[in-house]
Order: sequence, then C-alpha cells, then structure tokens
Amino acid sequence: MRRPLGCLTFSALIAAVLVVLAIVVAAAATGNGIFSPGRLSSVAHGGAVGGVASHAELEGRCEACHAPALSGERMGDRCLACHTTVTNEIASGGGLHGRLAASAATCRDCHTDHRGATAALTLADPRVFPHEQTGYSLAAHSLSGRGVGVGCRECHPASPVSYSAPTCVGCHQGLDAPYMTAHLAAFGSACLNCHDGVDSYGKTFTHATYPLTGGHEKTECGACHKQATTLAVLRATSTECVTCHAAKDIHQGRLGSNCAECHSPAGWTGATINHDRTRFALVGRHVGVLCESCHVERHWTGIGTTCSSCHAKDDPHRGQFTGDCAACHAATGWKDVTFDHAKTGFALTAGHAKPACAACHAGGRYVATPTTCNACHAKDDAHSGSFGKDCASCHKTTTWTDATFDHSRTQFKLTGAHAGVTCQKCHIGGLFKGTPTACSSCHAKPSSHTSAFAGSCSTCHSTKAWKPATFNHNQTHFKLTGAHVGAACQKCHTSSHFSDASTACSSCHAKPSSHTSAFAGSCSTCHSTKAWKPATFNHNQTHFKLTGAHVGAACQKCHTSSHFTDASTACSSCHAKPSSHGSNFTGSCSTCHSTKAWKPASYNGPHTFPQRHGGAGGVCSKCHPSSWTSYSCARCHSNKSMIDKHKGRSGFSLTTCANANCHPTGGGD
Amino acid sequence: MARSRELVLALLAILAITGLYAGYAQAVSVPAASGLIGHSLGIVGFLMMLMTETLYSLRKRAMRRPRGSMRSWLQFHIFTGLVGSYLVVLHSAWSFNGLAGALTVMTIVVVGSGFVGRYIYTAVPRTADGVVIEAQELQGQLDLVRREMAMAQGAGAAIPSGTARHQDRRANRRLREIERQMAALRWARRVLATWHAIHIPLGMALFVMAFVHIGAAVHYATLLR
Repeated sequence: MRRPLGCLTFSALIAAVLVVLAIVVAAAATGNGIFSPGRLSSVAHGGAVGGVASHAELEGRCEACHAPALSGERMGDRCLACHTTVTNEIASGGGLHGRLAASAATCRDCHTDHRGATAALTLADPRVFPHEQTGYSLAAHSLSGRGVGVGCRECHPASPVSYSAPTCVGCHQGLDAPYMTAHLAAFGSACLNCHDGVDSYGKTFTHATYPLTGGHEKTECGACHKQATTLAVLRATSTECVTCHAAKDIHQGRLGSNCAECHSPAGWTGATINHDRTRFALVGRHVGVLCESCHVERHWTGIGTTCSSCHAKDDPHRGQFTGDCAACHAATGWKDVTFDHAKTGFALTAGHAKPACAACHAGGRYVATPTTCNACHAKDDAHSGSFGKDCASCHKTTTWTDATFDHSRTQFKLTGAHAGVTCQKCHIGGLFKGTPTACSSCHAKPSSHTSAFAGSCSTCHSTKAWKPATFNHNQTHFKLTGAHVGAACQKCHTSSHFSDASTACSSCHAKPSSHTSAFAGSCSTCHSTKAWKPATFNHNQTHFKLTGAHVGAACQKCHTSSHFTDASTACSSCHAKPSSHGSNFTGSCSTCHSTKAWKPASYNGPHTFPQRHGGAGGVCSKCHPSSWTSYSCARCHSNKSMIDKHKGRSGFSLTTCANANCHPTGGGD
Repeated sequence: MARSRELVLALLAILAITGLYAGYAQAVSVPAASGLIGHSLGIVGFLMMLMTETLYSLRKRAMRRPRGSMRSWLQFHIFTGLVGSYLVVLHSAWSFNGLAGALTVMTIVVVGSGFVGRYIYTAVPRTADGVVIEAQELQGQLDLVRREMAMAQGAGAAIPSGTARHQDRRANRRLREIERQMAALRWARRVLATWHAIHIPLGMALFVMAFVHIGAAVHYATLLR
C-alpha cells in the first residue's frame, strides 16, 4: 500500500516529533514566551500600575493579562483590574474612557501590546477616532484634508487625554490676533464652554439664526452677547431690538419694543414708520399727506393727536365747538359729517332727520340752539298758543297730524266708551282747554229721570255705557238680599221717585187674608227675603218649646184656627184622653208620657211598691193586668203553697198583698 | 517561456501582492500579523502552502482516477508554493520573535529547498507524461543497437557496406547518448533522494510548527482575549 502523502516518511515523522519536543522544551523554558508575538512595551507612564511600571515587567507571565481559557474572564477585565483610573472613568461616565463608553470588551479596539519595547500601546486611528464622543468634534479641525491638517499633538501637546484652553488660544492667536484678543475679552478663555468643534463659531460662522446685516455687520459680538461665556447663554441671546437698543430709544419706549417695524439694521434713519403703531393712525385723507404737513419742521414727537393740533385754523365754526372735530367730521373729508345729534340730548328722529341743519341752526349757529319745539315751530302752532309751548306733549316728530294726547294727564281720564270717541265730540270748536268734566256738559239728562235723580250721573252710570245703569242698593238703608236682589227696580220703586220707597215689607207685600189679625207682628218674624214660603217660626221663643215629636209636627196640628196665639199648651188640647185610661188617669199626661212619643209611657209618679219586684222589670202589666189603680199578685203568687201559707190569715187576698199591714215593699213573710 | 510559465505567473502574483502591500504600508502602516490584513495573509498563505504540500503529492499517487496532467499539478504546486510562502512571510510583519519567527525562517528555508529540488527534479529524464524512463528500457534500447551492430558486421564480413557503417556510427552515438542518460539518471536519482531526505523532514517540521503557531494564536488571541 502506497503512502497517501509523500511527506509521511520515517524521517519526516521523526522530524515532527523532534520539533514538537523542541517546542515543548522551549515553551517550558520561556514560560510560553515562544508564543509571544513580540516584546511587551517597556514604556512607563507615571507610577506603577498593578504593581509594575510597564508591561515589559510582565514578560513570561502571560496569565497576568491572558485569563485562563473558559474561565469567563476576558482579557479586558484584567486590563481594568490594574488600570483602575480607566475603570473609574468608565464607571463615572467621565474622562476619556467614560465619554467613549468604553468597556472591558472594547479595550482591544484601541490598545494592544507585543509590538516591541518602545511601541505605542494605543493604536487608535486618529482618522476614525470618534473624537465627537469626547464632547468636541474635529469637524473644523480635520486631521487631514483641506490642505493643512491638524495633528493630535497640536491640541494635546502633553497627552492625548488632556487638554488645556491656552493651547487653543495660542494657535488661534496666530491666526487672527486682534480678533482673538477681542474675543477673549468678550467671551473669556473657556473655549469649550461654547465651542464643540461643530459650530465653527468664527470666520466661517454665518450667524444664520440672526442674519447680521447693515449696522449689525460691524458690531462686535460682545456688544449683543454680553457676558455670554457658555453656549447656552450665547444661544439664549435675545433677538429683540430693545434688548440691546433700549438705552438709546429716542421714543422712550412709547412706540413699543419692536424697533424693526419702522427701522432696519441698515440704520436708524430712513425709518418707514407704520403710523398705525402710533397713537394717531392715518386714515382717510390723512393718508398721503406729506409728513411735514403735521410734523412741521420735522418734529416727530409731541405733535398732539387732536384735530385742532393741525386744523385749528380751518375751523369754520369760529370756535363754537370746544370738543374734537372728529366728534362730527371724519378723516375722509370735512364734509363727511357723521354727527350723532343724539349726543346733544336732541336726537333727530322722523321728521327732524330730513331738514337741513340750517333749518334749525340758522346762521351757522350750532351751540346753545334751543331744544323746545316752540323755538322752531312757533309759527306752525295751529292752537294759537292755547296749549302752551310744549308741542311734544301731544305731537311727535313724525307729522303734526298724528298727535297722540295722553288724556290721562288731564283731570278727565278717558275710560270706557270715552276712549273711542273722537276728540271733537267733547272738544267742540277746537277748544280743548277748559272743557268741563261734568257728564251733563256733554250728556243731556233724559226726561225719564225727572227731578228724582238730582245726584251725579256716575252714581248709576259708568263710562262703559249708559245702559244698563247700575245702583249699589247696599249703600241705602235697605240692602237687597235674597229674592230682592233679582227683583226689578220697579217692583218696589213704583213711582219715578226712587227715594220714596218704604222699607216696610207691607209696603210691597200685602198681608194675606189667611193671616187675619193674628199676625200683627213683623213679616220678618216668620218670612225671610229668600222667599215667602216656606215661612219659619222659632217656636222656642214661645212658652211652648217644641221638643220630641212636636218638632216635626205640622203647625196646623196644634194651631187649628187661624190664630196661632190661642193654642193651649195643655196636652189634652191636642191629644184626646184614650178610653183605656178611663177615670184612672186624672193627672197630667206628662206623668207618664213624653214629647218623644206617646208610647211607651212610663210612670214617673209616686210608687211605694218596688216597680221591679219579682222580676217585673218595670213592666206595669205584670202587676196591673187590668187597671193602673188596682193590682193583682196572683199572676205570680197564685200557687197552692202561697195559699196554704196564708191559711188562717184574715183578709188574705192576692189583690191586697201590698197593703201596709202586709207587704208594703213586697218583702217579708 | 512555456516551460516555466508557473514561475512567471508566480512572479507576477508576487509583484502584484508586493505592490498592494507596499501601498498599504505606505498609506497606513505595515499590516500587523494580528490585524485583518495580517491574519488574511497568514491564513491564505498557509492554505496555499498546505495545498502545495498535499495536492501534488496526492495527484502523483492517484493512478486509478487521475485528474489533470501531472505537469499542470506541478505548475500549480510551484505557484502555490512560491506565492503562499510569500504571503506567510508578509504575515510576519517583519517580526521574527519566538516560534512565529522560527516559523518564518523555516518557511523561507523550505521554499528555498523546494526551489533547488525543482531543478534537481527536472534533471531526471521523463516521458512526455513525466514518467521516468526505466533503466530496463534504456538497456533494451542499448541491446537493440548492439544487435544491429553485430548483424551488420556479420553481413559484410570483409568490408562493411556504407549503410552498415552508417548504422554502426548511429548506433554508437545512440549508445553513448543512452549511457550518458543513464549515468545522469543515476546521479539525478541519488541527488533527488538526498534532497528528499532533507526537504521532507524540513517540510514536516515546518507544518508542525505552523500548526502549533496557529493553535497558540487561537489560544491566546481568540480564546483568551
């Protein structure tokens, strides 16, 4: 079998073994130093770190930096274990490593070793180094390109991780010494407070947020950016004009704070003022007028805003009006008068609105023009002055004819039918004043009234209408009640004299024949005005008060004759003694009977024998079976034992038991 | 020119690589062995050297299913051997510390050895296919010529004919030529054997060191980083 590879010869295998042995021996002898790709750096930076001054002291101690495999520890962890300064920067987020957000995993991105004793440990490529993460971009300090580049050492002469402001100042002084001197004076020397490397504040700065034109072009930065030593303050500089120019404001703040409305950065002169911003906006014919027309001799302030400030000489009213012209005149023209006459207290309404001003204001006289109607309309008075001078009390400004007189202002208020009557009905001949208010002055007394109605018409008549007339009878001595209310006046007032009617009932109501002379008294004793019938009599005012069954009994039951007064009060006068009573009941009926009813009667007289004896219970017939004056005990005591008991007793009879000698009270043996 | 095409190609490749390398070194810096470019140089160079070592050897032994001609593989072998080793040298970043430095030196030594071996190798006669003419074949050719000589002498007992003399002279020239070839073959085979005895252990040592170097790099620069 041929060898698959020609190299696998005996000698080759021997050589391989020998080489392996040699490597093992060399590795053991050098502490794995034969695997080192190069010498470690012997450059010492300051004091000892991790117990050594430089990495060179760690030669042969690979494990000092190379953690054991599979231990979970990275080489970066061992870097940070020794370089505690860097560890602290990372923890705090400050310093170079903190700002670069470095970590144990990224140490190798910038640092290495085994490149020789004098080789640099930092291999960060400055062209790709994220310098902006340090808080300062190299956008304006390119390391290369644009002709001349800036080297790291030019800004970091001492150390790549340190910086000092004088380095900036020194370099930029060389570029523009006068500017830098002024710049330092205005903004201080803490360059990084404002400059982050991107903004490029300087010659190429465009000031785009607030374009500098005109006078601003030559202004020193510090003139506006006062005490601005940080970027925040610098950017917070107000763009309001007054922020810088308030002290020189010749308008003393009167025209507001926005200078740019009139002025431009080109200069304070040549302002294009918006007159609306002043207290006197230009409108109407004021627009287009030469400024000097008002601002005489170019006096821009203190001109005054009243019309008279400029137009005093134009006053055709010869000073009548002390107020402002604008109260009547508009800026569009003198003739464009918009006077509110109502402000004078004399509003021009209706007919007053049309006439020319001169109709009232004759001779151009406007002030103190009288406001009375008569002042102008005296010649128009159709009443020849009879109504005085206050035409407006009746007339309106519309026309003379639509006068509306408030008659209620007179002593004769128009009510009822008077309201619709034409004025001439009463005011005959155009005479209004002095018209009498008496009814009879207009209304003639009808013949029917004769002399009986001597009083005022209004006693019975109202302005509503003559008829029906109404009389309040209650104001007389005879108040109308009951059936009298609806009765026709003529029923009682039979003559044309109303006042002679008698108040006696009999004057109107004839006494019926049935009453004869028995009813000599007043009709009202029994009758009321409600109606003649039924008549009612209060019997209780007599000696015989009606009680019990007497109350409902018809009068004729007792008063059998037409004379009511001759009726007897004795019971027997009305109630005949029944035959059953015989001669036994000689006393008064009321001994046993009440007015409640004849029956049941009850004996209320003397009765020595107990009425409830032997269970009689007050029932008379128990003992008095045949006669009230006699009695019989036999109904209860007729038994043989009773008879046997009284054997030998003389006079024993069951009808004499109650004798005084025997059983007067029903008891005893 | 055609016979040494692989050398020309290798030279062009080396010049191109040198140009790129020098340009980068000028513009940036010499590529560190541990950087992206340095590692790439090392890895590509090593793979080419590995192909140098294995592919041609395998082809020589792949008699049943040959792929490509032996000459083509030899050219590829020479090309990768030169270019690969040059890349490995560039990978060193011109630092020759420890094992890596020894490895670089060893690479240069083995490449130089191979370069010498190549000329020894080409001194060995071969057929168009590069197969060494066996001594028996040479001896057969010599015997054939000698028989032809003897036959010529027997046929023209007194005075050999002009044709026979001509054949004899030609056979003698041929014989001397073959004898020189055999002598050269024997010398070349001895030298080649000697060269093999030196070159192959050196190559083995080189690859052992290379693998250890790769293992150490992986261990320290990858696992322990």
